[in-house]
Amino acid sequence: MCLAIPMQIASISGHTARCAIKGVERDASLFLLQDETVKVGDYVLIHVGYAIQIISEQQAHSTWDLLDQMPDA
Amino acid sequence: MQTAKQWLDKIWQLPLSAPIRIMNVCGGHERSIAMAGLRDALPDSIDLIPGPGCPVCICPEQDIYQAIQLALHEDVTLVTFGDMLRVPVNVSRQNIRSLEQAKAAGADIRPIASPREAVAIARAAGGKKVVFFVAGFETTCAPVAGMLAEGIPDNLSLLMSGRLTWPAVAMLLDSAQPAFDALIAPGHVATVMGPEQWQFVVDRHGFPAAIAGFTPDSLLQAMYSVLRQHLEHKRFLDNCYTQVVKSGGNALARHLLDDTLKVVDAPWRGIGVIPASGLELQPAYAEHNARLHFPRHEEQARRFAGAMPPGCDCAKVVLGNIKPVQCRLYGEACTPRSPVGPCMVSDEGACRIWWASGIKER
Ligand code: SF4
Repeated sequence: MCLAIPMQIASISGHTARCAIKGVERDASLFLLQDETVKVGDYVLIHVGYAIQIISEQQAHSTWDLLDQMPDA
Repeated sequence: MQTAKQWLDKIWQLPLSAPIRIMNVCGGHERSIAMAGLRDALPDSIDLIPGPGCPVCICPEQDIYQAIQLALHEDVTLVTFGDMLRVPVNVSRQNIRSLEQAKAAGADIRPIASPREAVAIARAAGGKKVVFFVAGFETTCAPVAGMLAEGIPDNLSLLMSGRLTWPAVAMLLDSAQPAFDALIAPGHVATVMGPEQWQFVVDRHGFPAAIAGFTPDSLLQAMYSVLRQHLEHKRFLDNCYTQVVKSGGNALARHLLDDTLKVVDAPWRGIGVIPASGLELQPAYAEHNARLHFPRHEEQARRFAGAMPPGCDCAKVVLGNIKPVQCRLYGEACTPRSPVGPCMVSDEGACRIWWASGIKER
């Protein structure tokens, strides 16, 4: 539950972003990042459906590698 | 950036003579440590201790009992994070002991993965009351605060069992004999709340501390940092997750948390009340506070109310006093298939993580 997952933003509509990770798409809220400038193509860390931080592409990839190794994450 | 292997080599080169215990307070950290096999890769003198990093494990037994009773006896839909469904309460075996059993008995209970789903379910409920039972640490409560600030439907109320992590660590450090010598602080809690929250570990208690991310290289970097702090008698809060953890954290999220939720003294299952460690709804949200709008279902003199299940050592595991394998029930009566205690139910519970990572021997 505490594990946040990096996703890339595919499109934005209001406070909702369509995000993608390796072919899987999901909506996430950008409500907690309103004070930041978030753009399509950015990577964000998502926890229980809310983006909590903008991260670098490199950081996103290293976390994905980690998640790939986990059997029941 | 150094690789996990390089950090490991650097740790092996340190002149470690006496044993040292390093505690983490995040189920995500514990899972990375267990899955990457870091315990076996590190020198024997380093003892990695899983600490209070599982919000499901310490969620008050009375609150879960209340959630079960609401779902069974009130005309509501109860939504909660999936991990909560199988956590048992202390009632005799003839009675309904978990939300999962209540659901099987016909109660309208739905597991969700996001507060957004709670809002969507309430909107689609045609006015039927929906209760969102929330167990979680800061990383989960911030999205709940966002949900409240954005506005929720009238028929949605919250049974809040939010908890803060640092007061539990403060309690351990204030105790006569903390079960650890150095701390790895939780990376995603610090992402939201800011690294500054953990400064007290160094300033007030003189313990080495580092904030880590979730990859093995970040965890090993943090371990190397606290080991050096320990050996060189220098203390500072080392942020080893600077890519994500920024000074001040997510300022908006903190602001929304303050606006919507208030800090209260709160019970931790099997442990007792920890001062200023709970998050409840602010009075402005009283209309959405399920504690105020439904009768409290508690039988007087229910045996073991508030405690861990009889025979389960989760409280000791959570406090870092014993390892999961030291529980008599681990792998015997208690497995993920038939869990006795919450630490074997939750993905963030140390017992479940150890079992899933293949530690079968007691
Ligand atoms: S092994 Fe089971 S009974 Fe023992 S502490 Fe862990 S969850 Fe509790």
